[in-house]
Amino acid sequence: MLNSKKGGDKIISVYWFFILVLVAGGVFLMVSNFYGHPYDVREVEADILANQVSDCVYYGGKLNQNVFLVPEQKIFSELFANNFLEECGFTFGSVPEYYFEINFYEYPVPGNSLYEISKGDPNWKTDCELKDEGYEKLVTCVEKDFFAKNVDGTIYFIKVLSMVRKTEQNVKQ
Amino acid sequence: MRRKRGNILIENVIFIILNLAFLTILVLFLIKQGAGAALLEQSYAKQIALIIDSAPPNSVIELNMEKGKKVAEKNGVSFENIVRIDGNKVVVKLSPDSQSSYSFFRSGGLENIYTSELKYYVFVTPKREVIANA
Repeated sequence: MLNSKKGGDKIISVYWFFILVLVAGGVFLMVSNFYGHPYDVREVEADILANQVSDCVYYGGKLNQNVFLVPEQKIFSELFANNFLEECGFTFGSVPEYYFEINFYEYPVPGNSLYEISKGDPNWKTDCELKDEGYEKLVTCVEKDFFAKNVDGTIYFIKVLSMVRKTEQNVKQ
Repeated sequence: MRRKRGNILIENVIFIILNLAFLTILVLFLIKQGAGAALLEQSYAKQIALIIDSAPPNSVIELNMEKGKKVAEKNGVSFENIVRIDGNKVVVKLSPDSQSSYSFFRSGGLENIYTSELKYYVFVTPKREVIANA
């Protein structure tokens, strides 16, 4: 139905363009907000770190014998734990943005940790439990566990915890 | 009542054209935002860093960077200078005024990095002893 009053047509046009400006402004704000956030790849990165750390300890169904100081007596090596980064080809830089922890437990009843290897800043461990507002600005944590069978038949339950911080590059500040 | 059909038609056509122009500008804006240099730089830097971290030893990985190449050449950056490794950081540069870097945790970085067929970047991870067995 056409409005034959020309004045009314002009008023409707003004409203129409006002709506267009609103829509354009809304789209602009949404797009800017979306693309203004960096890509957060920390979960993938923490997962990769956990896998690579696990591979250095247990790979292809074989436990790395370097974890033992005396394999026959199942005495674990502190030297391997201390030099884990160099032994397994990792570099955390002068300001570590990563942390990982590997714990060996007895099987079938875990009990206390028999052997621990950890590198990086352990102060972030408590941040893994937080789910409050703004938790994404803290570290991203990934936990994995698996069973490892040694050549002598001993089975260990191994838990791996890996963390990536890098908040400046993955979270909008 | 006689209506001036010519005026009505012209008004509607202009109205439709203006709306189409508005929608076109919106769509072009959306596409431009998604293909911006800064966003691509960040995407490539993180992608390559994760490739270095996760790739098995002595692997050869080809990454198609044709999109990045177009953006870089438009900004006067040659394809060979888009990606470089600086210590344990990947640095991606698609324009003279900006770059994006992301660190990786594997020591040794890359054995080799080179371009191929003017659109691929090829990364060769170093030979690495994964595990020393008894």
